[in-house]
Amino acid sequence: MVPIPNYLILAAVLFCMGMFGVLVRRNALVVFMCIELMLNAANLTFLAFARMRADLYGHISAFFIIAVAAAEAAIGLAIVIAVFRSRGTVDIGDIKTLKH
Amino acid sequence: MQQLSDRMQHFFMTSPFDVAGLSSALWLIIALPLLGAAVCGLFGRWLGRANVNLVACASVLGSFLLSGMVFWAINDRGTIAMSYHGMEGSPYALASDYGTWFQVGAFTARFGLFVDHLSGTMLLVVTGVGFLIHLYSTEYMSHDPAYARYFAYLNLFVAMMLTLVMADNLVLTFVGWEGVGLCSYLLIGFWYTDAAKAWAGRKAFITNRIGDFAFIIGACLLSLWVWSFSVQAQEGNFSAPGRSERYRRGVSQVGPLNYTGLEATARLIAPGPGVSKADLNTEISTGPLKGRTYGAVLTAVMLLFLLGAAGKSAQLPLYVWLPDAMAGPTPVSALIHAATMVTAGVYLFARLGSLLVLSQTAMITVSLVGAATAIFAAVIAFAQDDIKKVLAYSTVSQLGFMFMAAGMGVFWAAVLHLVTHAFFKACLFLGAGSVMHGNADEVDIKKLGGLRQQMPWTWVTFLTATVAITGVLPLASGFFSKDAILHGLRHTELVQYEWVPKLVWGIGLITAACTAFYMWRLYFLVFEGERSKDAKVPEAHESGTAIVFPLLMLASLSVIGLVYALPLMNGGGGGEPVMENFLSPVFFHARHLGVQAGSFRGGSAEGGWVPLLPGWGLAWVIALTGAGFAYWLYMVVLPRERNLAFPFWVRRLQAVVRNKFYVDELYDAVIVRPVKFGSFILYRVVDSLLIDRVVVRGVAWVTYQVGSVIRYFQTGDAQSYAAVMAVAVLAAVAYAFYNFR
Repeated sequence: MVPIPNYLILAAVLFCMGMFGVLVRRNALVVFMCIELMLNAANLTFLAFARMRADLYGHISAFFIIAVAAAEAAIGLAIVIAVFRSRGTVDIGDIKTLKH
Repeated sequence: MQQLSDRMQHFFMTSPFDVAGLSSALWLIIALPLLGAAVCGLFGRWLGRANVNLVACASVLGSFLLSGMVFWAINDRGTIAMSYHGMEGSPYALASDYGTWFQVGAFTARFGLFVDHLSGTMLLVVTGVGFLIHLYSTEYMSHDPAYARYFAYLNLFVAMMLTLVMADNLVLTFVGWEGVGLCSYLLIGFWYTDAAKAWAGRKAFITNRIGDFAFIIGACLLSLWVWSFSVQAQEGNFSAPGRSERYRRGVSQVGPLNYTGLEATARLIAPGPGVSKADLNTEISTGPLKGRTYGAVLTAVMLLFLLGAAGKSAQLPLYVWLPDAMAGPTPVSALIHAATMVTAGVYLFARLGSLLVLSQTAMITVSLVGAATAIFAAVIAFAQDDIKKVLAYSTVSQLGFMFMAAGMGVFWAAVLHLVTHAFFKACLFLGAGSVMHGNADEVDIKKLGGLRQQMPWTWVTFLTATVAITGVLPLASGFFSKDAILHGLRHTELVQYEWVPKLVWGIGLITAACTAFYMWRLYFLVFEGERSKDAKVPEAHESGTAIVFPLLMLASLSVIGLVYALPLMNGGGGGEPVMENFLSPVFFHARHLGVQAGSFRGGSAEGGWVPLLPGWGLAWVIALTGAGFAYWLYMVVLPRERNLAFPFWVRRLQAVVRNKFYVDELYDAVIVRPVKFGSFILYRVVDSLLIDRVVVRGVAWVTYQVGSVIRYFQTGDAQSYAAVMAVAVLAAVAYAFYNFR
């Protein structure tokens, strides 16, 4: 069997990669993909612990996270499309209205 | 004959006016010129020259008539100043109280007007001479476009001087004191477009200000002094019980600087049999002056007032503004710097006479300052070539005479000389103005001459006034008033310092000789002899009526005034001089207090004509000597020897004297330059550098630098915000992890 800590380490690594992408990548769609990556990493953590404790609570949390991720993706993509329509770009570096 | 003179005396000594009504109308005397000033100043341009002249002259004439009525009323023995707040009312006086001005703790200042014989005399002089000068100015200033402003300032000056003279406490007097200083500045710098004239005005104001500063400090010290005394009186120090309570109540209600209160304090504090247990050598027991004696503080107060009076009345060391004040129009010089403003210092000491005599040190200082000033100014006048400057130094010298008299307690003679000096000096100044008017504003006496035939009226009045001031003929008042001063000085016996009055008397005699010399020099060079070849106009024209009439009036008054010095009144063993008798209700206490306090011995000088004759004879001889020397020098020697070369030391001496002994240059080097340098330092280093650059702009610079650093936190970039959030969350997790292990 694969030891549980391996799953946790994998999840941690995936989470860090996702966070790094959120902070660094400039394309909004890539940022969303990285957010999905972070959410999946959390999912993996939950499932690993569920396996460890041999009960179903982790699975229930995983279902919640999948649903929330889907909803959030839908709305996020709608916002990206709206931004693209008004600004003509999805480059986050160009959307700096908070600066002024 | 006797019956007629009795009836006349009764007529003039009974007031036909309702005293209460007249008392409450005292404010009108001040209000009329003030109103005139406002009208001329605000509406002068629309009124036109004739109306402005009318308004200005009429307001002063109205004041004069009211002053005449008041003067008549106070001759009545039954006129008693309303006794308010427990103070005893004084006969031969009118008073009116118009309410409290301000009240701070134990200090009260009220608006109150008080007219006794001294104030009444001053009122008549100020309004009378003021009116004549207004008349004169209507013609003298007829070519000047700014006549409305001129008359506004002149009226304002009269109003302020009347406030000074009629006030019943030192605070209101100070209002008038500063007001006349202000008007003097405005009028000296009347032609302000000429920088030198404007600076002359500024110099006058600043020098006056130094005196004002001393005045304020003296007044504050005096009020502390009175307050400490009244507090100490409360502790039952008085031997007569009711008196203490009445005194304290009076002082607390009218304020410590009321003249009646000051005189009451002086009477209580002078050592006398069983009057009060606190006298001049008692130590003050309460308040900020604790530990010092009453006598010492009073001396300090009187010396401070001396400095204040020196500023206003142009004594050493603050006389430097008066000769430069000749930059103003001549009627201004006549009114302000001969007749009225400069006499304010003498008036102050006459008012505070009861206090002055309590301090022998102050008396001696006042007299010596007056004597030094008199001789110093007289010597400077020897070498001046400008008519007005000679007269200015003459004024300084005559004021020195008045201070000599006031310092030695002979107040009536000082006031008499004040009055006669106002007449003849104003006549001299106005005569000089007439000369200038007729000679295209020529002031250099070396370029005038022979005006005797060309300007007859001016000549007659100038000659009369010169006779008056020098006393060459005992026909004019100056001779008698100056001799009254000298006689009083001769017969004053100070305790322990007997040589002082003798010294002052000697200096007075020398100054009288000097006066005779320089005044006759002035007369001979201007009016006698031939017309100088350097004259600006070939023929001088006599001035018009509006100029000649005041000259004639003043010249006549100079002559008539001699009556006041003759010993015609009953009293004092033999005959008492009219003025001394007239002013005795005012100075009665001062004489007695001086004797009580041990400043001088009560003179047993007999009155009458006989003791005066030797003094008259000596003064006449001295005046003739001075005048004769001037005649010999300027009419006999110099015209004969045109190219007389004086020895080197004479020329050097003459240059030094002509340059006023370089006093102005000394003040400039010792006081003015360091102050200017100090203010330059303050401007450059403290203001420009420290405050502007370092503090104000420095704060802005620091804020800017900090802001430009912090600006980098606000990028507007969502990802950097997210990065910060991520770092913060990591830090929180690490913290929790390590703390909750």
